[in-house]
Amino acid sequence: MSNTETKPSDSLITTDVETGSNDRTAPSDRTAVAARDLNVFYGDEQAIDDVSMEIPEKRVTALIGPSGCGKSTFLRCINRMNDMIEVCRVEGDIEFGGKNVYDDDVDPVALRRKIGMVFQKPNPFPKSIRDNVAYGLKIQGFDGDVDERVEESLKGAALWDEVKDQLGSSGLDLSGGQQQRLCIARAIAPDPEVILMDEPTSALDPVAASKIEDLIDDLAEEYTVIIVTHNMQQAARISDRTAVFLTGGRLVEYDDTTKIFEDPEEQRVEDYITGKFG
Amino acid sequence: MATDTDTGRVEEFGEVSRVRGIAFEYLSLGASVLGIFALAVLLIYVTIDAFDLANANPLWLLTYFLTLVVPFLGFCLYSARDRTLTRRAVTVAGGGLVAVAVAFTLVETFVGQVPRLNWQLTYLFVVIIPLTGYLVYMGARGRPGSVGFGMVGRLIGGTAIGLAFSVLFLVFDERLWFLAYTLGIVPALLAYAYGRLRDTPAAVTAALPISILGMVLAVFVREVLRTYPTTAFIYLWTLAIPIAAAGAVVVNGRGSRTAALTAGGVPLALATAVGLFGRAAGLGVGGPNALLVIAVTGVPVAAYLHRVFDVGEGVSGLGLPVLLVAGALAGAFLVELFGIPTPSPWVSETFLTEAPSRTATEAGLYPAIVGSVIIIAMVAVLSFALGVATSVFLEEYTADTGVVGALTRLLQINIANLAAVPSVVYGLLGLGLFANLLGFGFGTAVTVSLTLSLLILPITIISAQEAIRSVPDDLRRGSDAMGATRWQTTKNVVLPEAFPGILTGTILALGRAIGETAPLIMVGAATTVFSPPSSLFSKFSAMPMQIYAWANFPQAEFRYGVVAAGVITLLIILIGMNGTAILLRNRAERGN
Amino acid sequence: MTDSTESPDLQRRSGLTRLKEGTYGGFFAACAVITLLTTVAIIATLLSDALMFFAEVPIREFLFSTSWSPNPRGGGQSFGIVALVIGTLTVTITAAFVALPVGTLTAIYLSEYATSSARSILKPLLEILAGIPTVVYGYFALVYITPALKATLFPEMSTFNALSASLMVGIMTIPMVSSISEDAMSAVPDDLRQAGYGLGATKFEVSTGIVVPASISGIASSYILAVSRAIGETMIVVVAMGAQARMPAVRETLLGIPYINPTDVLLDSGMTITVAMVQIAGGDLTGGTIPYDAMFALGLTLFVVTLVMNVLSDLIAERYREEY
Repeated sequence: MSNTETKPSDSLITTDVETGSNDRTAPSDRTAVAARDLNVFYGDEQAIDDVSMEIPEKRVTALIGPSGCGKSTFLRCINRMNDMIEVCRVEGDIEFGGKNVYDDDVDPVALRRKIGMVFQKPNPFPKSIRDNVAYGLKIQGFDGDVDERVEESLKGAALWDEVKDQLGSSGLDLSGGQQQRLCIARAIAPDPEVILMDEPTSALDPVAASKIEDLIDDLAEEYTVIIVTHNMQQAARISDRTAVFLTGGRLVEYDDTTKIFEDPEEQRVEDYITGKFG
Repeated sequence: MATDTDTGRVEEFGEVSRVRGIAFEYLSLGASVLGIFALAVLLIYVTIDAFDLANANPLWLLTYFLTLVVPFLGFCLYSARDRTLTRRAVTVAGGGLVAVAVAFTLVETFVGQVPRLNWQLTYLFVVIIPLTGYLVYMGARGRPGSVGFGMVGRLIGGTAIGLAFSVLFLVFDERLWFLAYTLGIVPALLAYAYGRLRDTPAAVTAALPISILGMVLAVFVREVLRTYPTTAFIYLWTLAIPIAAAGAVVVNGRGSRTAALTAGGVPLALATAVGLFGRAAGLGVGGPNALLVIAVTGVPVAAYLHRVFDVGEGVSGLGLPVLLVAGALAGAFLVELFGIPTPSPWVSETFLTEAPSRTATEAGLYPAIVGSVIIIAMVAVLSFALGVATSVFLEEYTADTGVVGALTRLLQINIANLAAVPSVVYGLLGLGLFANLLGFGFGTAVTVSLTLSLLILPITIISAQEAIRSVPDDLRRGSDAMGATRWQTTKNVVLPEAFPGILTGTILALGRAIGETAPLIMVGAATTVFSPPSSLFSKFSAMPMQIYAWANFPQAEFRYGVVAAGVITLLIILIGMNGTAILLRNRAERGN
Repeated sequence: MTDSTESPDLQRRSGLTRLKEGTYGGFFAACAVITLLTTVAIIATLLSDALMFFAEVPIREFLFSTSWSPNPRGGGQSFGIVALVIGTLTVTITAAFVALPVGTLTAIYLSEYATSSARSILKPLLEILAGIPTVVYGYFALVYITPALKATLFPEMSTFNALSASLMVGIMTIPMVSSISEDAMSAVPDDLRQAGYGLGATKFEVSTGIVVPASISGIASSYILAVSRAIGETMIVVVAMGAQARMPAVRETLLGIPYINPTDVLLDSGMTITVAMVQIAGGDLTGGTIPYDAMFALGLTLFVVTLVMNVLSDLIAERYREEY
């Protein structure tokens, strides 16, 4: 996988932001999460159709596509959040650290402790800021210095300076963007390996969204970030790799972000990215 | 469409007759208020009878109106700070006076005498009481008003809870409680606190076994040990000190250490002083119950005072209790001074503290009140625990499919049907199962409580389910994604959010239990007991049972006096419980 | 933070942790099953004693005999439920005459006419009607309603009578009719109302001609529930209706057609199934005697009747929920 430094002028989308704007140039040959022949059904309806892909470690991978294309379903397969939906049936493998997470001996609860998740709508618990961040530590029986970890995580989520004097006040008192960063701090506090983000900025105003985007860039230093977004500019700005899902839950193209946005193989992807479709 | 020059066309549209429609609207409005109106009239009569207001001298009414009601309304208006409201209130009070007097005279002249009502009483019930209700509502929106009502509520609520506690110890052995507390709860709390402070999870985990072990030990020690501290000391050690400590912790949490010490210490010292030495000092009050009441009332009041002064708004509202007491005293003084004849209300101290009697003037409700308090306390614990557990299962642990799904559907249908089973049938269940088969005895507290718990269980479950369902799914998913197990999500996220709603539903269901009579008759609860029960297995009565018994007495003093007083007492307790529930719900809704 | 390990530990937790998690689930399930056991216990308790009763008293006599005297001073006992059924029907029908029309009109007012602030005041006030203890209603009927009716409309009324009790039962069940009916009426989609207004209908015509027919199954379900509640009501009738099981006098008109004068039934005392149970419970509770068992036979009758009505009401309500 080659991460490009060149900024070709014939970019398919008209933004003045650079694509792949980071300097994580060293190719990572380690795979964090891999899907093999994944099929997902909701009752009789097929939500994911035979998807295979390898997601590199410590990179930002974006999943894009029109609504209902299965990208969120795919994301939720990785930490088995789809288990909560009873009609949902999964075939094929999702490998995490070389282990199929759908194997019988895998405990979904243990799996989710290794994989953090950030949701579309900020959902801090109605507890204090400190207790929100410490939540994962508490349920996992963390026996180190909780306050130190809380501070670390809030710094990691670029929220520390704004809240350090009000750790005891409710997480719900924060603004929407701060709440979302609090949720990110909550997700990274137990030190997961992968962070899943399901349209994390779609409920936020542009300023708050751009702060989250900067943060995602930083997070990729330490974590594998997989992000679902319907905002193509956002995918272009922050991701290293992009997977395009189109209708019927099919993975149409998966490549380096620059390649996808500048010279996609598939005509349908080009149509989608240029707004002719979807 | 029609234009100015073509008015002839407009008339062609004509007008559709609305007479039927308007008549129907007023008919349906009338129907909506019919039941409420009927109930209001009945309540007015029962109040008049219970307080002997029919024989009240108009001057007596006027005196208390001026010393008590007018200052109180003034306080509400002062708190609302709304000129138009004041003007409207004065207009309603004045205009209502004239209107009621004229209307009442007309009715008396042309229709006939209205039994046990005169225009002054009509004015009181039709104008002043609704007006007071409205002004309390408006006044509570202002800061002084909310502070004042909060203060009065804490004083009354604290006293009621304190008395209820002391009543519970009539039946539950306080010495056993003393041992269980000392040997079980205190060590467990210490272990828990140690574990928390020193980050030793083992100590935290050990807390529960320690408490169970301690309590078992207590039962054995109780058999052996013969000397105990006095009741007052037991209350002080097991109840007053922990309550004061809890109050201090709450105040400390707001950030002031000295205030915390004061808020916990002053009520504790006061309670100790009055409780241990009050009678000796000739204060007229004292003893263990006084200690308990002062501690239970004083600590929340002190914490509340601290918060009010901390916020610094509406401090003047704290004068409300003083205003009310001063008004009552001034009224009593004036009545005495001018020799105004006073009515003799049936709801009196004697009525609340004496045993039932064949003579109306000596009859009291005390044993029945004690019975009701004990039964309600047990029903509260049982139905709350079972109701929460069941609703957690139905809402958090179920699936839509498979065996569990089928079980859930079955349970849900079953609960809906149980809610509609007549209460008298529950009485038969209690009689057949608890009283006869399991041998808990006829009409004992255990039998009655178990029966009533099952009776209100469906209502508790349904309301708890609603409360749990109203917790947003986002929060559950957030917690699941952190790798929380189902129990961790339930315990840490769902239950704290749903708690106020569950509590509200439980209190409302308890309101149903406190008024139930038919199941009590069926399990053989006593219609009349002359002394308060001394154990859980002695014969019990309850307030509605006593009312039922008295209602059969043919004498007018019972029909129109004692029973009315019983009904009023029961209704006041009910209103207090439901009012608390509604306040809790409103506060929880505002919090979110 | 740490480097990712090649193969993270995703194994199921150790036995103890899973046991703990399972214990909680099991505990909650056990509590939930208690509600099921309650139903089983009710049925078992009622059946076991009722069967003993029917071993002594033939079902035929129980269902068709017209005399109810479980504790005779002299003469033989007799256990005929007919007189009790007549008493229960008297109360239920009279109460329905109050609760059904008033409740329906209330529901129409709340759903179609009332402003939201009027609704927010009226609805809690109506709920109070259902929250007053029934023994208090019984006392009201006995001590205030009966004397008032005696003084004005019916001078020949007896102290214990069916009318006052029924009126109170009716008032108590108003909120049951109004709240469920109002839910059904509010569930009628606004499109239907708009369609009516578009055709030039008045509000009255829309309310009675469109909304009520559209929500008829919900209204019917509320009626059945209210009637079932009235059948099971105990304390009001115990206190205010007296305890005399009697068959109404059959009169003859001039042409020889028999009829029952409603005032004979309403203005006199009577006995319902529930009153009969309470009366026995007031005396003998030791078990084993025929009156004791008779109480359970009555209870079983009451339970079956109310259960059937509730299920029926549920089924009808299910239909209206599906419609919209």
